[in-house]
Amino acid sequence: MSETEEAPVDRSTIEKSVKKVISEILRIDEVEITPNANFIFDLGADSMHSIQLVAAFEEEFDIEMNEEEAFSVQTVAAAVDLIQNTLENRS
Amino acid sequence: MDCEQVPKTKDQLNNLFYPHSIAVVGTNRVRDSVPFDLFNNILKDGYRGTLYPVSPREPSICDIDAYKYVIDIEDDIDLAVIVFPSTVCHLAMEQCGQKGIKTAIIISAGFREAGPAGAKRERQVKDIADRYGISFIGPNCLGLINTDPACSLNASFARKMPEEGSIALLSQSGALCTAVLDYARAHHIGFSKFVSFGNRADIDEIDLLLYLKDDPRTEVILLYLEEIRDGRALMDAARTLLEEKEKPVLILKSGATEQGASAASLHTGALAGSDEVCDAALRQAGIIRCRTVEDLLNSAVCIVNQPLPRGRCVSIMTNAGGPGVLATDFAVDEGLKIASFSEHTTLSLKKYLPYSSSITNPIDILGDAKAERYTAALKLSQEDENVDGTLVILTPQSMTDIGAIARGVKSISKKFDKPLYATFMGGEDVQAGVDYLESSGIPHFQRLQDMCKTFAVTCRIHERLTRTSSTVPVFSDTNQEKAQAPIDVSIQAGKSFLTEKTATELLYAYGFPVLPLYIAKTETEAVEIAERICYPVVMKIHSESIQHKSDSGGVILNIGSEEEAKAAYRTIVANMDRAGKTSHVDGLLVSKYIEDGEEVILGLKRDPSFGPVLMFGLGGIFVELLRDVSFRIAPVDTASIEKMIREIRSYPVLEGFRGRPERDIQSIVECLGRLSQLALECPMINELDINPLIVHEKGKGSTVVDVKILLRGTEQC
Repeated sequence: MSETEEAPVDRSTIEKSVKKVISEILRIDEVEITPNANFIFDLGADSMHSIQLVAAFEEEFDIEMNEEEAFSVQTVAAAVDLIQNTLENRS
Repeated sequence: MDCEQVPKTKDQLNNLFYPHSIAVVGTNRVRDSVPFDLFNNILKDGYRGTLYPVSPREPSICDIDAYKYVIDIEDDIDLAVIVFPSTVCHLAMEQCGQKGIKTAIIISAGFREAGPAGAKRERQVKDIADRYGISFIGPNCLGLINTDPACSLNASFARKMPEEGSIALLSQSGALCTAVLDYARAHHIGFSKFVSFGNRADIDEIDLLLYLKDDPRTEVILLYLEEIRDGRALMDAARTLLEEKEKPVLILKSGATEQGASAASLHTGALAGSDEVCDAALRQAGIIRCRTVEDLLNSAVCIVNQPLPRGRCVSIMTNAGGPGVLATDFAVDEGLKIASFSEHTTLSLKKYLPYSSSITNPIDILGDAKAERYTAALKLSQEDENVDGTLVILTPQSMTDIGAIARGVKSISKKFDKPLYATFMGGEDVQAGVDYLESSGIPHFQRLQDMCKTFAVTCRIHERLTRTSSTVPVFSDTNQEKAQAPIDVSIQAGKSFLTEKTATELLYAYGFPVLPLYIAKTETEAVEIAERICYPVVMKIHSESIQHKSDSGGVILNIGSEEEAKAAYRTIVANMDRAGKTSHVDGLLVSKYIEDGEEVILGLKRDPSFGPVLMFGLGGIFVELLRDVSFRIAPVDTASIEKMIREIRSYPVLEGFRGRPERDIQSIVECLGRLSQLALECPMINELDINPLIVHEKGKGSTVVDVKILLRGTEQC
């Protein structure tokens, strides 16, 4: 899609894609991935997973995330927020 | 201190060292990572209790079923070891609280040491722990080891568990712990407990020291600190350990070269740098300060494996003359005495040793000495009532039977209640003998100077343990209320110091031998006062705002007549005019001029960690240049005051040097006692210099000639 053709992406769509990405990278069931789940404490992500997750989100949503913000994200909901903000800023 | 800590109970710390169950919270399966290695160490080093892995992702760790959350564990948990990244430690701590766990270790780094965000995380974790009543070690630490076979706990990520022993090590640095462990294993040094406490956000070295006081498996405690947070608590704890349980505390404190006196304005403040104060405080509390890890471990090995020397008289035994002479020099440098053998020993040595041997101390049993000669001479040395311990030296020569000599040294060591240390000089040839000695509990030193230094350290411990008790002097003729009043007035007026007249009156209220000071507003008044108190006199400016009077020509000494008095008055007035300070002068102080005696300085300074510090030294204007001063932390008992006075290099001057009269040292003891009491009863005094105190001939007392007092909260000059 070109820049002019981009439309706002609704939050539930983003959340669904985020869960899919997390499930693939961390190899866990999507049911466990609740909005308040902490990447490290609840989902068991380590620093390598964090890098993989950021890269996968960028590819999935065709965005470039601010590194500092991306690596400070702790929960699934916060990841969705950041991706939504990045998408909105881009459009 | 950051905040007021509540001392930990023995039960809380028992869970730390003797937990029946442990949960490692945040572990994983990544080998060579802290979360995995820590869990694996507990498992492989034979922990006697029940171990639970808590891992959000892994179904099991090392074939043990893992729990996703600590709250999922059905059994009670005594100790949680948290290895999660710092960003989620608060979540782990919250769950530990919900689970009812009361003790934890936070291994993770990324807290206070990592900057403001980390400090915030540390406060968050501490708040949660406090809310649930959890005591914890760390964060940012290596962990804890308890070698007691009843527990056998290696809750650390150190590579190997140390041998069992009776030395405890408490360290602020985790990296230093791993280095010590490696060194200790190479030298057969065993440990009872091993704790790396990192940022000490909760449990600190004081809690641990007090716990180890009652630990029957610990005989000596080694402490590595980068910063002493509560110096007085450390002194109290170390004193308790030594006096109640005869357990010495040895400390390696980094930052020995730091200068903490840069902002000071009086002599005492300038001289009482943080490291000098720290040194004096540790010595006062009976804590042995070591300069290297090797010194720390050498001393500990001697304390736990050998009797303490009952005196400083050493016998030195060698198979080579040169090392014997070197060792003699080192021993004397360390304050040891070279023992004079009894007649019986001398005759026996003559009988057993070859003709060309040296039978005086140091005993040279010659290069061809074999085990029999070593053993016979060593036995005679240890038997001698004039000898408090023997230092054995060996150099490897072609006929030296090193192994047999090492065995002989061990057999003699066991027969006498006196210390025996050894230096087998060399490397490869002597290594087997050294290994034998070290594994047999005979302290061995690579260097002669270390052997002598360590003997001196153990002497100090014995002297401390056997010293006669002394009491802190209490003076009932003091008037605290009268002393405090001008301090309150000055603080309310925003003043940072007391005028000399007020400071002198304050000292008078505490019974110091001060000279009366009279204020003259005119030249005529000045002359009248001088005539009344008799010449010679001193004149100096009286001012609420000028502290350093002599800097602007405001002091004239030794005024001997009416003419001189008039001239002095005019000179001071002219000096003030020239300096543009006339408006700051409230008159002139006139007092008797005293010169008959030695000038000493008595000082007081508040140290942020140790509290009120007293200083003594030879006085005068060169005090900062010569730095011949000693320090003590108030309150000070009489014996310590006497020792403080004897400690300075120029003490012989006070005893009467080259025909000069002996001075009234007892009057200095009294003044320092009064200063100690003043320091405790008037906490708003920040710094105080009595410089000089003129000490007269023995029996004639002393006189305070000048005093400066700076107040707290208004430090500036």
